Amino acid sequence: MKWWRFTFLIIFVAVLQTSAAMNLFSLTNLRIKPDILLILLVYFTVYCDSYDAVIISFAIGFAADLAGMVLGPHFISYGIIGAAVTHVKKIILLKNTRQQAMAVFITAVLTETVALMLTQFKPPELTKTGAFEIFAIAAYSAILWFLIKWPVTKVGKWLGVGVHRFTAKINER
Amino acid sequence: MARAKFKPSKLTLFAGLLLTGFILLLIPQNVTARLNFAFIDIFRFFLNIGSSTTISHRNSQKDSADFVTRHEYNKLQVAYENLQAELGEQKKQIDQLGRVRMTELDPAAGLVLANIVNRRKNEFIINRGSADNLKKGQYILGDNAIIGCIEQVSTDVSSVKLITSSACKLHIRISAPDVNSYFNGTMQGDDKNAAKILNVPKKYKIKEGYYVYAAPKAGILQSPRIIGRISRCAADETNPVLWDITVKPAYEFDDITDVAVIVIKTEPD
Repeated sequence: MKWWRFTFLIIFVAVLQTSAAMNLFSLTNLRIKPDILLILLVYFTVYCDSYDAVIISFAIGFAADLAGMVLGPHFISYGIIGAAVTHVKKIILLKNTRQQAMAVFITAVLTETVALMLTQFKPPELTKTGAFEIFAIAAYSAILWFLIKWPVTKVGKWLGVGVHRFTAKINER
Repeated sequence: MARAKFKPSKLTLFAGLLLTGFILLLIPQNVTARLNFAFIDIFRFFLNIGSSTTISHRNSQKDSADFVTRHEYNKLQVAYENLQAELGEQKKQIDQLGRVRMTELDPAAGLVLANIVNRRKNEFIINRGSADNLKKGQYILGDNAIIGCIEQVSTDVSSVKLITSSACKLHIRISAPDVNSYFNGTMQGDDKNAAKILNVPKKYKIKEGYYVYAAPKAGILQSPRIIGRISRCAADETNPVLWDITVKPAYEFDDITDVAVIVIKTEPD
């Protein structure tokens, strides 16, 4: 894993996620937008070894918090759910694109629900996501996975991820 | 001697990071918000890329010599309604002047112009902060209509809760021109694209189309300013003695590119 490249990528995606450019892809009056950080979370937790996946999950969670207005909820939720996905992939390989899209959907629902619960610790006037929005964002992100899997995989290879998924790389750990 | 490289176990790493997360969560919002504002401040340029594209795309099919755009029409309507409200206030003042000699109007009210750096759901981030005397609770004007209030402030960036956000509660006046009076109330956003006026008894004769103004508030707003108009007024399904009133803002918020903050200057101690 090339960590400097990863840091650059996460900052780039956090800026993209927050930018006005993403409004071009928003749907309905609720401004439903796909969550690219979440897609990356699933990709990295599926293709990285579990030690790196824990660090990556918390790092992406921190980026998601920076892109929002509250620090903490996404950091924790992405960390916990990301670690859970690393355990799930020991049972289900998540090799298939459809399985990965389903993983994106479930992960999105769980992370946003946990984040929503944790936001209760913060001042009540902060914006909170509704249940419909959570499902809509999850569905949009899962559908988008079919379209952006190829570029995400290429970026993953640039970061040194996904090359040795099913064969142990001796000097990696 | 070779230095041992520190590498905690996976469980220790997870527990440590989780603990860090809970510490971040429990730090007061005004402290952690600085980091969010710093992020916006650093990437301000990139965050705004695409906003002009969205607006120009929306307006591209509306150019014609005989028509004005919906936004332009709304702008003129808002200016007209604000003048009407001011006229009403002036008339009241003239009545009072007949009885009491008044001092001059407070000249301390000023406007701080700001650009929208970033748009979020029911929230704008603007490029002005406490360095420009911005404070929590101050009202924001978008093309002369009240569109929200300041929520969080850092030195040079602030977040604005729009009137469509449930976090934004304002004291309002409903203008009833046919009975020549105002009804007072409180308005709260519905988290979609409108706002609701709460707990208005049905004994008040309120109709669709009436204009809604932000009520004057000491130190915040001196004269009523338009917010929008009533788009729906029906009996409340849960409580039939109350109205269920929906207010449509004067503008589509996507069309607004810059705003003005109403800052009432206070005398230094």
